[in-house]
Amino acid sequence: MKFLLQLIVIFVLAYVLELFFPWYVIVVAAFFAGYVVRSGANFLAGFLAIASLWALKAWMIDSQASTDLSTRVARIFTLQDNTLLFVMTAVVGGLVGGFAALSGALLKPAKKKWYEKR
Amino acid sequence: MRLFKFFVSFAMTLALVYFLDNRWVIGKAPLPPLGKLLDPFHGFWQNIEPRGYKPPAELQIPGLQDKVTLVFDSLAVPHIFASNDADLYLAQGYITAMHRLWQMEIQTHAAAGRVAEIAGPAGLENDRYMRRLGMAYGAQHALESMMKNDTTRMMIEKYAEGINAYIQSLHYGDLAFEYKLLDYRPEPWTPLKSALLLKNMAYSLCMRDKDMEMTNALRLFGPEVVDLLYPDQEGVGEPIVDQPGSWKFAGVLSDSVPMALPPELIQVKKKPGADPTTGSNNWAVHGSKTATGTPMLCNDPHLNLSLPSLWYVVQLHGPGANCMGASLPGTPGIIIGFTDSVAWGVTNAQRDLIDWFRITYKDSSRRQYRLDERWADTRPVVETIAVRGEDAVSDTVYYTHWGPITYDHTFRSNNNHVDYAFRWIAHDPSLELLTFYKLNRARSFDDYKEALNTYQAPAQNFVFASVQGDVAMRIQGKFPARRKNEGRFVLDGSIRTNGWQAFIPVEQNITYRNPPRGFVSSANQYPVDNTYPYYITASSWEAYRNRRINSVLGQDTSLTVADMMALQTDNYNLKAAESLPAWLKQLDSARLSPAEMTAFDILKAWNYTNTADAEGAAYYEAWWDSLYPGLIWDELLKGDTLLDVPSTYTTLRLMREKPDLAFFDIQRTPQKETVADIVRLAFSKSVQTVEQWKKDHAGSTKVPWGAYKDSRINHLLRLEPLSAAVNAGGNHDIVNAFSKTHGPSWRMVVSLEKTGVKAWGLYPGGQSGNPGSPHYADMIDPWVNGKYPALHFLQTAGQAADRFSSIVLTPSEE
Repeated sequence: MKFLLQLIVIFVLAYVLELFFPWYVIVVAAFFAGYVVRSGANFLAGFLAIASLWALKAWMIDSQASTDLSTRVARIFTLQDNTLLFVMTAVVGGLVGGFAALSGALLKPAKKKWYEKR
Repeated sequence: MRLFKFFVSFAMTLALVYFLDNRWVIGKAPLPPLGKLLDPFHGFWQNIEPRGYKPPAELQIPGLQDKVTLVFDSLAVPHIFASNDADLYLAQGYITAMHRLWQMEIQTHAAAGRVAEIAGPAGLENDRYMRRLGMAYGAQHALESMMKNDTTRMMIEKYAEGINAYIQSLHYGDLAFEYKLLDYRPEPWTPLKSALLLKNMAYSLCMRDKDMEMTNALRLFGPEVVDLLYPDQEGVGEPIVDQPGSWKFAGVLSDSVPMALPPELIQVKKKPGADPTTGSNNWAVHGSKTATGTPMLCNDPHLNLSLPSLWYVVQLHGPGANCMGASLPGTPGIIIGFTDSVAWGVTNAQRDLIDWFRITYKDSSRRQYRLDERWADTRPVVETIAVRGEDAVSDTVYYTHWGPITYDHTFRSNNNHVDYAFRWIAHDPSLELLTFYKLNRARSFDDYKEALNTYQAPAQNFVFASVQGDVAMRIQGKFPARRKNEGRFVLDGSIRTNGWQAFIPVEQNITYRNPPRGFVSSANQYPVDNTYPYYITASSWEAYRNRRINSVLGQDTSLTVADMMALQTDNYNLKAAESLPAWLKQLDSARLSPAEMTAFDILKAWNYTNTADAEGAAYYEAWWDSLYPGLIWDELLKGDTLLDVPSTYTTLRLMREKPDLAFFDIQRTPQKETVADIVRLAFSKSVQTVEQWKKDHAGSTKVPWGAYKDSRINHLLRLEPLSAAVNAGGNHDIVNAFSKTHGPSWRMVVSLEKTGVKAWGLYPGGQSGNPGSPHYADMIDPWVNGKYPALHFLQTAGQAADRFSSIVLTPSEE
């Protein structure tokens, strides 16, 4: 549950921040959600949130595109077709999101489990 | 432990961001900043224009005095309506930058020798070359004279202001795709950059000479062979202006220049100048030969075709001005176009406006050189070339009385301490922009005549027509009054009087108005009849297109706009018609293989027309390519000694008239070949080439010319995915001069009717420089098919149809 919440927070926050700031602002979004909403799989949440945000946004742009620039760019990167370019976009964003979320979560002092409490 | 993990993870995050936010060179391959580039909120995805995209309806622009209305038609051609000249050029700068900023900037960088700054060491060699040619030196001189004239200063400054207003409005997400890919940002635009672009045009058109090659030929073969191989005139076709006995003036200056052959052969690895196959066509037909009874004017300049395109179509409407046509992104005004009363166009004048002067140094320090009775000082200029990712490179270029020393021991020359200084017309101060300012407002023949007076370089054949019924041609440029043979060979730079002593007065330039034959035309051929009192030379003259154009225009009356379009896209191969029958005869006695037999039959049945589907054209061109220049002129192309090959026309004439010429012998074979032998040999080789092509193309049984030619319109960065492959007819030496890489870069037909000027025009590209725009290459197909769109010449902004979008530019407070 927390995982899903964390994922949504990163997704929404990164979306809003990216409207105003350069691409690496996704670090802020993922780091913040990693810290505040720490889950059992922080890296995965960060990775999936940014990867899906970037893939979705790219897909929305491409679905309304008047030209095949994404295919041309894929060919500049010697990729077969633009599907792989979507994957590449998602992975690049995802990696940064994943590490940022993990960092945020690791900075937060570990909550002691009940049996460790004195 | 947890804190340690945090540090590792956080460091990883930062390292990743740093890596993905910067450009890297891995091995030799550049890797763009992947994070920045792929981010769909700001990266390249933002360069993809959505379907039905319309620019914002209103923009606030600093520096405007009044409101400006911009109307875009369906091809994204801007029609600019301004209430004063200053706003007109500011808006032109703004809108051109909006569509073409990256191209404008990279072209000025190329001209200034600053490509290595962006591309890294790969650009260095050419950067050094541009600096050693003195491109910026010439641009600086041009800028100084433009700044002294109030009109041109206003044009160039306002245009720059408009470009800068656009640059200042840019965020990373708005940058052109190429900026993102190469990871850099535009710098502020300056008037010098516009001057550099004009010099870049001079470089494309007027930077070809063969003085060193001719000098070597003279030393090796003697004057008779030189005149045989490289005649000043080929005596073919009609000159552009043919009115013997009408030149009622005596030429200034006519004493001769002493021949001063250097004692050594010149061994310079000369960089190729302007492509010899670049050329252009223009003509204007008098009302007596047209269906409407009023003149028509046509122009198609042939240049290296690229994406984004060299030209940008625009309409400029302001007080006292309403004109439309092709502009050069980066310079204000319209270069080839029409007003509501006149039209004009240009082809290259070819004339030799380059000389090389042999320098006699006092000693090896290169500090002083002989000039008449004294030792003159050289002026060393240290060029510092920034190289991306590496230390800057310094290069010292020595300037002399004549100009810069382009080639020396540090740059492409083996000769020790025998250097040549480069004298080029484009180094001189000039005021071309004023010509275009005036042409853009011309209403009559007199206005045209007056406008051309300040035009210097690159020298052009300016065709003209007006609604008053005039047609005219003027060969305009700043031409040195050359003495016999001056400029054909290198000159002795130790004698001041060997330089250009005087220039032909503008009123003595070659002109033609309403000739009896009913039309004027030019296609880079020899300019004038032999009674013109000045010596004329050039590195080459055109021999085929001009004859085809004149024979078509000469025969027909009641010419229509459709006829003009048909002539611009005419694929008749006069060269083949004149050479192929004789070649085929040489095969009669030869034993042919089955593949050769097929080729022979196809060639025999061919109608000498280079259409895209013609197999005969493919076989003919392959035959010619295996013959010329490598097989015929093998002795001129080997070794370090710089030599030129004779022109296509002279080669074919010598093959016809002197079949036993010693040059036709292939040097590396023991036996002695004649023309018949090399024609047969070239035929066999070309058939093999074609057979190989068929194998490489999925075992194709046919070889259509368009596919075989494999034309390409390359992106300026030579990125294949951003370039366009084009299957079309034509070739060099044909009116439709579309070769593999060069061709008609703009085709325009203007009908100057009493009821108003009508025009059609297009170029192989599109108005937008953005590969993510539907207007990036939307004119290529109609260009190939000869389907000319009408140029909407609006009288008022309100006249625009519904499908047009418009932007209102308003002055911003700031």
